[in-house]
Amino acid sequence: MSASVRQTAATPDLVDAVVQLVRRLRERGVQTSTLSSVEAARALRVVDLLDRDEVHHALRVVLVSRPQDLALFDEVFASAWEPTGGLPQPMPDLGRLRDVAPPERRAPRLAPVTLQNWMKPDESGDAADDSVPLLAPSDDERLVSRDFSGYSADDLDAFRRLAQRMARRLALRRSRRWKAGRRGRSIDLRGTMRWSIRTAGELLRVQRRSRRIRRTRLVVLCDVSGSMELYSRFLLQFLHALQNGFASVETFAFATRLSRITGQLRGATYGMALRQLGRDVRDWSGGTRIGHAVSSVVRDHAALLGRRTVVLVLSDGWDVGDPVLLADAMRELRRCSGKVIWLNPLMGAHDYTPATRGMRAALDHIDVLAPAHNMAALDALVRQLAI
Amino acid sequence: MNDRIREIQRVMDASSYVTDKEVATAVYLATALQKPLLVEGHPGVGKTEIAKVLARVLETDLIRLQCYEGLDAAAALYEWNYPRQLLHLKLDEHSTAPLAEREQSLFSEAFLLKRPLLAAITHPGKAPVLLIDEVDRADEEFEAFLLEVLSDFQVTIPELGTIAARERPVVVLTSNRTRDLSEALRRRCLYLWIGYPGFDKEMAIVRARVPDLSERLARELTAFLQSLRRLRLDKTPGVAESLDWAMALVVLHASHLNEDLIRDTMGCILKDERDFQRLEGELAAGRLPAMLSVAG
Repeated sequence: MSASVRQTAATPDLVDAVVQLVRRLRERGVQTSTLSSVEAARALRVVDLLDRDEVHHALRVVLVSRPQDLALFDEVFASAWEPTGGLPQPMPDLGRLRDVAPPERRAPRLAPVTLQNWMKPDESGDAADDSVPLLAPSDDERLVSRDFSGYSADDLDAFRRLAQRMARRLALRRSRRWKAGRRGRSIDLRGTMRWSIRTAGELLRVQRRSRRIRRTRLVVLCDVSGSMELYSRFLLQFLHALQNGFASVETFAFATRLSRITGQLRGATYGMALRQLGRDVRDWSGGTRIGHAVSSVVRDHAALLGRRTVVLVLSDGWDVGDPVLLADAMRELRRCSGKVIWLNPLMGAHDYTPATRGMRAALDHIDVLAPAHNMAALDALVRQLAI
Repeated sequence: MNDRIREIQRVMDASSYVTDKEVATAVYLATALQKPLLVEGHPGVGKTEIAKVLARVLETDLIRLQCYEGLDAAAALYEWNYPRQLLHLKLDEHSTAPLAEREQSLFSEAFLLKRPLLAAITHPGKAPVLLIDEVDRADEEFEAFLLEVLSDFQVTIPELGTIAARERPVVVLTSNRTRDLSEALRRRCLYLWIGYPGFDKEMAIVRARVPDLSERLARELTAFLQSLRRLRLDKTPGVAESLDWAMALVVLHASHLNEDLIRDTMGCILKDERDFQRLEGELAAGRLPAMLSVAG
């Protein structure tokens, strides 16, 4: 095989073909870097151009960098790469929609619940027969001021204690990394050595080290729309306790619009916070536009996000907005944060599947979808909160 | 087909690493383009093995860095040998040499503990294969540090100066996708995804790695695992589990798979109580014959 003949520098045609291919991949949403065309051209110089499989494998290794793009790449390559030489055929407009299923992404795991089991210990599996009827999302923005004084505080104590425990654990999580200092449990040999050199090798001071405290920020987006009405009071109680137990929590409430309620939840007693919220959050129990809420967090509160931030979305996924918008917003949110956790109180009745349009749109961009059905479920959540 | 790729595939076959052209092409490009190769896939599909076989193909050494949470430069790059330095200081206490000289001798290469990254950079002779295993388990700080090392393969040790690699090591990174790696790291690497093998490939792997297993049993075992992966298990068994199981069956002198044998040896392939129960349910429902049929 005269490999030397084929492994010549990439011809202009070939470069052109590569550039076209990369452009088509980008059009379909495959993430490629700016240098990828160059890398692809380099790769083509060292493989057998007449071997279509080899060219296919080589370009895929260079141009794809995440598993969910593999199937898409194969499709684009199949339709765009000329079998013999590499020059692409004129291509029909494939459109922007990605209709290829990503490879075997497992649906997040579900556990059976109902609202009635909310406060009970686990093992709620078979009690789901008489579940609470769901409220349909309302389309109009209902500007209702709600009076929260009717809510009883019974049972909520246990709930609050749990939130505080979670907050404490979250705040005190130790990193695996070391920090040098005068105090600490173990000896920092490196530092000790350094010090002893100052005193001509005499060990006058023992340097110590301790585990660093890992700072995780929590950003909570709480759905307070009509369909979430039944859960809101528990969730708010939970958020209130969390807010006051753990310094780095930012809380937002949303239905059709987003309100930052960190300030209202901080400091005050739960009752005071509720009264304040009733005044400030205008579209309490209206319809939901999750996509809008999420994208305005990403847009207007970007400073709160980052690799050390866990975003907690509390919503049932009933969305009256555009699912494409929601999917885009969730993708952005996930890109900007360390972890996205979606707590869905409806993950209840054992026949629950994430079938609402909103939930389906968001599903691909969530790290953890968990139930928030009872205390045990929330307790289990603490482990997920670590980044 | 490129001759080098064919050669790589041949040596891999000879090392009982059953592979396909895709893997061989990726490995070849990593050496030809001198770029790190990021290998992702489910646990137990042979990601780490690629680096080992690659070292064999290139006839060079393999240097392995196992990542874990909290991995830092001292464990990955270098550390001074402090106990030895202290000892040296004590023995040298009454030396009349000037302090600068004493300090210099204290921070010479004799007291340097080379961790995998530095070992790869200073490796004498042929460029080694550097395996950075399970990079998803290290944290982002380490990832950033790794990017720096991977971009120019030189490190600066304040006491010694800058040390650069004579020849760039061939770098293979593996990830189980327990967390998403940074865009920057992905961009820097060639990317290879290894999925679960199909029936024919898995059968070939089992036959190559456990030659003592009869063909009939290998066929049954492979079919069973292929069916098992279609169940929604908590911990889906990989090829590593197939091989463990195959070896167990050889030791047990098994001739064919039946329910009792599967129950007794289930621990080789399933590692989770709930998965045990799920399999138990399948067996109780009489689905074993279907699971053993190749098409099913």
